[in-house]
Amino acid sequence: MSEALSRQVQRARTDKSWWVAGALIALGLAYPFIVDPLRDLPLIGDFVPGVSSMVVMMIFTTMALGLNVVVGYAGLLDLGYVAFYAAGAYVAGWLASLHFEDITFHLGSAVSGDLPGIHFNMWLVLVLAGCFTTLVGIVIGLPTLRLRGDYLAIVTLGFGEIVPQFVRNADSVGGFDLTGGTFGIAPIDSLAIGGVVFRQESNKDDLYYWAAIGLVLFTVFCCIRLRDSRLGRAWVAIREDETAAAAMGVPLMRTKTWSYAIGAFFGGVAGAFFASYRAGAFPADFFFQFSVFLLCMVILGGMGSIWGVLAGALILSYLDREGLSTIGSKIQEGGLDFDPTKYQFGIYGLIIVVMMLLRPTGLIPERRHKIELEEGVHDTPFYDVQTEGAMTDRDRSDD
Amino acid sequence: MTTTEQPAGPVLEIDDIHLYYGAIHALKGVSLTVNQGEIVTLIGANGAGKSSTLRAINGINRPRDGRIRFQGEDITHRSAHRIVKGGIAQSPEGRRLFPRMSVTENLEMGAFQRTDRANFAEDMERVFELFPRLKERRTQKAGTMSGGEQQMCAIGRALMARPKLLLLDEPSMGLAPIFVERIFETVVEVNKQGTPVLLVEQNALMALDVAGRGYVMETGRIALEGAASELKTNEQVRKTYLGEG
Repeated sequence: MSEALSRQVQRARTDKSWWVAGALIALGLAYPFIVDPLRDLPLIGDFVPGVSSMVVMMIFTTMALGLNVVVGYAGLLDLGYVAFYAAGAYVAGWLASLHFEDITFHLGSAVSGDLPGIHFNMWLVLVLAGCFTTLVGIVIGLPTLRLRGDYLAIVTLGFGEIVPQFVRNADSVGGFDLTGGTFGIAPIDSLAIGGVVFRQESNKDDLYYWAAIGLVLFTVFCCIRLRDSRLGRAWVAIREDETAAAAMGVPLMRTKTWSYAIGAFFGGVAGAFFASYRAGAFPADFFFQFSVFLLCMVILGGMGSIWGVLAGALILSYLDREGLSTIGSKIQEGGLDFDPTKYQFGIYGLIIVVMMLLRPTGLIPERRHKIELEEGVHDTPFYDVQTEGAMTDRDRSDD
Repeated sequence: MTTTEQPAGPVLEIDDIHLYYGAIHALKGVSLTVNQGEIVTLIGANGAGKSSTLRAINGINRPRDGRIRFQGEDITHRSAHRIVKGGIAQSPEGRRLFPRMSVTENLEMGAFQRTDRANFAEDMERVFELFPRLKERRTQKAGTMSGGEQQMCAIGRALMARPKLLLLDEPSMGLAPIFVERIFETVVEVNKQGTPVLLVEQNALMALDVAGRGYVMETGRIALEGAASELKTNEQVRKTYLGEG
């Protein structure tokens, strides 16, 4: 009876969370219409992010959700996620710009037909970029995912450095200009629906913003479905105890590689989207710090928790885009010569440290992580770390 | 491959396997057989190679030489997850439950490699019948249970795979005597329902009580083998493992 009751309570809670989600989506979609009145509000008005910042925040959120599949779901520490962002951006550069000017190839693109270069339909490019980075993820993942823990982190860190270095220097691969070197590739085509080319419209930011909301919703949907799938359960099992997971017949390599590949997919799509919004792929964007920045979002929000990562990503990317400089100008108006944007990574680091002290499971913790830290549930120790013949850590009277 | 094998036929045949960890020669030619319907125990001191033998069967460590055959098929070089799918399930050393999953979720993980959903609920019910305690605790996180309950859950989890051979690695480890007894009773019960069991134990007395045949391992070799009743009366075994002499 109590079970039926608790199930009912749970259902009510689920219904409520759907209402909240629906309201947030509606609010999100309406944002471009209400942003101006909001910005006129006294006191808080200055802190309201503009629509163009919101576009970037949504893109970063998508990447953080992708990284969360790797770090949060499967428990694999990936310090090189920026590689997928770069790969996605360059796929957009290759398939939707003037870069390969010797070839003229158009496929459903909105740009005029006599323009040189390869021009795929930009929406198709997003998908292709995702597929390409998935492949990159598999190629990187297969040799590296045999490693555990810190070793994996170090190797992914290496790949996160290799890919940007490669694109920076690949302007003459056997005499062939693949990536445009330090200048990158620009301009990259705009998204377009029918004949409406986003970048040519006066409300370009609004159009990109709605597309970005769509991207985030798609990502969240995929994350929820993945979390509740058989694959998702296998990831949890690996995260909890890799040896036990293997004993249950979870194919370790395949399962881990999937998490890496799926995480890479979202990184690639978001990277291509960003490249289209910024109208270019610039190697200066692809630095190690960005991987860490995304990781901070995941940790701040709560590893493995979709809503947590959403919150963490929005907060940190807001600070990155506008928040810190707004706060800085307020401080300077107050007469103090302090510019927080100069110390941004110090500030993010401080936020993480404070979080670890006060709320180590993140803003909105994932259920299992929360149990681990708050209720002190832990693995039974290996036999070989116990003294011989000793009991486990449990009291004899428990049995 | 037929599922209707002769009752007495061998389920598992290990033929002269050699296993190395780097330069360490852990198994120096181990051979053993588990027949249909049997409980076979593998006893021996710490470091004798009992767990290494199990790891070789599971496909976690590959033997360098020798063959392992399961139901007549060579599985020596099969990957671990395909071996589980083939019907060898195990309750690993130290139980190794997923501590932050509930009991039910742990049991579900046991059925990970199964593709038939039809008998799933029935099997879960069967596990709960064997271990009523687990039913009471099914929503509890596995890591918060006592050692004995965790061991029940680990065995239940292995049974969820509908194994054709059950491997138990030290099920009595670190448990209070009353729980040890109950675990062994269940092992016999499971075996009676038709599952052959390979039982690795340090608690030689208990193991030889429930098993039909036994192997005694010493430094990577099978030192002795025979009917459990004979081993129990064997002077050397009594001295070394049963604390006499």
